[in-house]
Amino acid sequence: MVVGDVTTGTDVLVIGGGPGGYVAAIRAAQLDLDVTLVEMDAYGGTCLNHGCIPSKAMISATDIAHQARTAEDMGVFADPAVDLQGMVTWKDRLVRRLTKGVESLCENAGVHLVEGRAEFASHEQARIVKGGDGQGSETVSFEHAIIATGSRAIELPGFEFDGERILSSTDALALDSVPDSMVVVGGGYIGMELATVYQKLGCDVTVVEQLDDALPGFESDVTDVVRGRAEDLGIDFHFGLTVDSWTETGDGLRVVADADEGEAAFDAERCLVAVGRQPVTDTLNLGETGIVTGERGFIETDDQARTGHDHIFAVGDVAGEPLLAHKAFKEGEVAAEVIAGEPSALDSQAMPAAVFTDPEIGTVGMTEAEASEAGFDTVVGQMPLRASGRALTLDEREGFVRVVADGENGFVLGAQIVAPDASEMVAELALAIEMGATLEDVAATVHIHPTLSEAVHEAIKGARGQSIHY
Amino acid sequence: MFEFELPDVGEGVAEGEIVAWHVSVGDTVSEDEVLAEVETDKAVVDLPSPVSGTIAELHAEVGDVVPVGDIVVTIETEDSSEVGDEDAPAETDAGDADEDDAHTGEGGRVFAPPNVRRLAREIGVDISTVEGTGPSGRVTEEDVRAAAGAGGVDDETVESAISKADTDDGHEGGGDEDKEVESAVKQATTKRDDTVTTADTADRERTLAAPATRKLARDNGVRIDEIPTDKERDGEPFVEPEDVRAYAGAIVEAETAEPATAEATETAGREPADAGTASPEATAQTTEASVTREPYRGIRRTIGEQMEESVYSAPHVSHHDTAVVPELVETREQLTPRAEDRGISLTYLPFVLKALVAGLREYPVLNSELDEEAGEILYKQEYHIGIAVATDAGLMVPVVEDVDEKGLVTLADEVADLANRARSRDLEPHEMQGGTFSVTNFGAIGGEYATPIINYPETAILGLGGLEQRPVVEDGEVVARHTLPLSLSIDHRVIDGAEAAQFVNTLKEYLENPSLLLLE
Repeated sequence: MVVGDVTTGTDVLVIGGGPGGYVAAIRAAQLDLDVTLVEMDAYGGTCLNHGCIPSKAMISATDIAHQARTAEDMGVFADPAVDLQGMVTWKDRLVRRLTKGVESLCENAGVHLVEGRAEFASHEQARIVKGGDGQGSETVSFEHAIIATGSRAIELPGFEFDGERILSSTDALALDSVPDSMVVVGGGYIGMELATVYQKLGCDVTVVEQLDDALPGFESDVTDVVRGRAEDLGIDFHFGLTVDSWTETGDGLRVVADADEGEAAFDAERCLVAVGRQPVTDTLNLGETGIVTGERGFIETDDQARTGHDHIFAVGDVAGEPLLAHKAFKEGEVAAEVIAGEPSALDSQAMPAAVFTDPEIGTVGMTEAEASEAGFDTVVGQMPLRASGRALTLDEREGFVRVVADGENGFVLGAQIVAPDASEMVAELALAIEMGATLEDVAATVHIHPTLSEAVHEAIKGARGQSIHY
Repeated sequence: MFEFELPDVGEGVAEGEIVAWHVSVGDTVSEDEVLAEVETDKAVVDLPSPVSGTIAELHAEVGDVVPVGDIVVTIETEDSSEVGDEDAPAETDAGDADEDDAHTGEGGRVFAPPNVRRLAREIGVDISTVEGTGPSGRVTEEDVRAAAGAGGVDDETVESAISKADTDDGHEGGGDEDKEVESAVKQATTKRDDTVTTADTADRERTLAAPATRKLARDNGVRIDEIPTDKERDGEPFVEPEDVRAYAGAIVEAETAEPATAEATETAGREPADAGTASPEATAQTTEASVTREPYRGIRRTIGEQMEESVYSAPHVSHHDTAVVPELVETREQLTPRAEDRGISLTYLPFVLKALVAGLREYPVLNSELDEEAGEILYKQEYHIGIAVATDAGLMVPVVEDVDEKGLVTLADEVADLANRARSRDLEPHEMQGGTFSVTNFGAIGGEYATPIINYPETAILGLGGLEQRPVVEDGEVVARHTLPLSLSIDHRVIDGAEAAQFVNTLKEYLENPSLLLLE
């Protein structure tokens, strides 16, 4: 023990103040447990500081400008000026407000907040290393620990983030000015969201993706709509290319990729690398606990968010795919409740997900193929947006709502939505799936006209062979 | 091969005694055919076959007491992969791996809402082994509880888990869940108490029926989910109008047969499905044996609805006064023999009616009606006075028309005729309509003053107390005089208290000096 070390005890040590960690901490405190939350960077984690919230702020702001600029069919003519610094300042302000909010929520719940990096000293103790030299450390004995250290962007060898030429998604959300051109390496959801933002801001964006389509993991008719729209915006797509190296070119850079035949080169002012995220476990000294990480470095957990140790839990990104803040919320809550002795479990029947592209993608549960694979006698109902009155009033024609159900008894199994506000529309179907609702239940529910949610209704009816408007 | 486990044949029944087998090994049975009669502590019920097939084995003999969830019969089905339908009983054999596929649902999906899944964890039931009885086979709270009861988790565990949830405070939102559990338990308990002792009431969670059929059920005061049916449409229980009528008829029969049975039927049959959430007092009341229940319908209901409309529409004010009427008594005595000559018995009522006409002429606002929609007060030019008559079936108010144009004897005759026919229920509907003012002679039975309820949409009613000798002060001395107590109720929206008092003063004047009636 180092001189100056102080040992304290706590019921629950939460490591990391992101969506998984702060929710676990607040919930545990609500359940009358003594909770210590250790955060080494900023409360709110990636989601609040570098992810969901700032990117959505930028997307909304750019969309306002873009829509104003492209509403001539609606008789609106405008050419709004965009001050990127102003946009970033506004975004930073709301992020600050939200992180402050998280901090005070924790404090009000009675969570003991500690700033520093926590590393395990054993499976019963952790050392909290404060920032800076000579700050000493603090040892915490815990009854239970919840690991919520999250994830970070993967760096490509040779493409280390420098914040100047090679940007991470975090960097891309804090630029001073809109670059003339940008190469986006990676056509996943982060790459697609940011590519769309910068293209709409007037940047000339090229997306280079290793696989043969954008948004891997989604069905092709879903990605077709989104990629098609991106192409209409002017984004260039190059698939099947692996980036290899880059070189300075005076006021920009040249990204070189391996192609089947020789090389391909892309010149741009800056390069955004968004090729995925990896768990953060290297700060933890995990070896002291005996917990070993599994595939791709994630910590494996059971349906109560427990690691191999009954008293150590892992939640959020560090506990594996899907890397979604709302998945972390749920896991954090369950971990806290399990520690408090409640019969909680991760038993969600479906995990909804959204991509905030243009248009948005919202999915939940099974695809048609997955349902059939699982042995269901699958029925599908699909409502194209061009048949929706509300969509037309939004000047939207592309996209659809698709509902997958069990043909035998009508249970809703999944949905795929490509539409403006698909992220909101999917909530209804997530509830239907959790409740074990049938097509008839949703069909019998009155939906407001004229709304996009009517398209959900219509797709449901379609699956029953009873569509009215399509 | 279908292994039929004894379902929970009544709500919350734990076991049943096999009273009789209707099938034997080798018999071919069709779906819904009765396999056996099972006696529980509640009733003897028929056990219908959930599938069609051939009886392969009977697992219990007559007289055996079989716990819910134990296999009672094995049926060889034509398509053995088809395990039951939504009517199939709760699956309870948690250890049977062979059947897992049948209940778990494909792809690990469990069709149960989150609160039910939580309950299952709480009381230690593997929800993937529970077969649902909810819509389309969704697993409900009851299914989980039934599985807990039959699957070796005893009631105590359930209860302690529940009481744990009750005392487990300090978490946000948990209160609601606890309440839910509590109310669910209460509901189950209540249902248990109310379970009908005849077997011919169904208790489904869901029933298909046309809107018109549902309306018929409502009109008959029965719940669609309790109407027995063996019809199905799209695999769901289906009820048609004749089922509703048959069931409603059976209830009436049961009611008339024996009060206690009637009460039980009534309680179970008429309570809405969420009766369990009613206050404990209410529950206590409905199960109290000393209460005799009578349907609120027919004339009783019509009267009630009219009273309700009157009281809730018209702000009532009652004005009380007493007429000192020795002269009226004398006059009537003089006229009685002459009336009798014409075969008519002269009461005081015709005098009152004539006096009323005099008063109404002077204060026409008491002979009015408020047309709310038009926002107008209608002053009636006719004097049609309703006479309240108590009959065995309830209150009726026949109308004496054009009182101003008729003499005392005619009025006496008409009043007597209307009252007689009201009692024998021979009145035509039109004879009870069109009144502009009403009189109620409660004094004929007894009493002095009352607060009569206006015969809406009329705006005033006069109540007559008993005409008797009462102490009256005359010239500083108390003397006995015949007096007639008067109670006038008015619709204060249209008539003010001053007008009411003036009207009664006029009335008194005429009643106290009957010779004035000659002017009318």
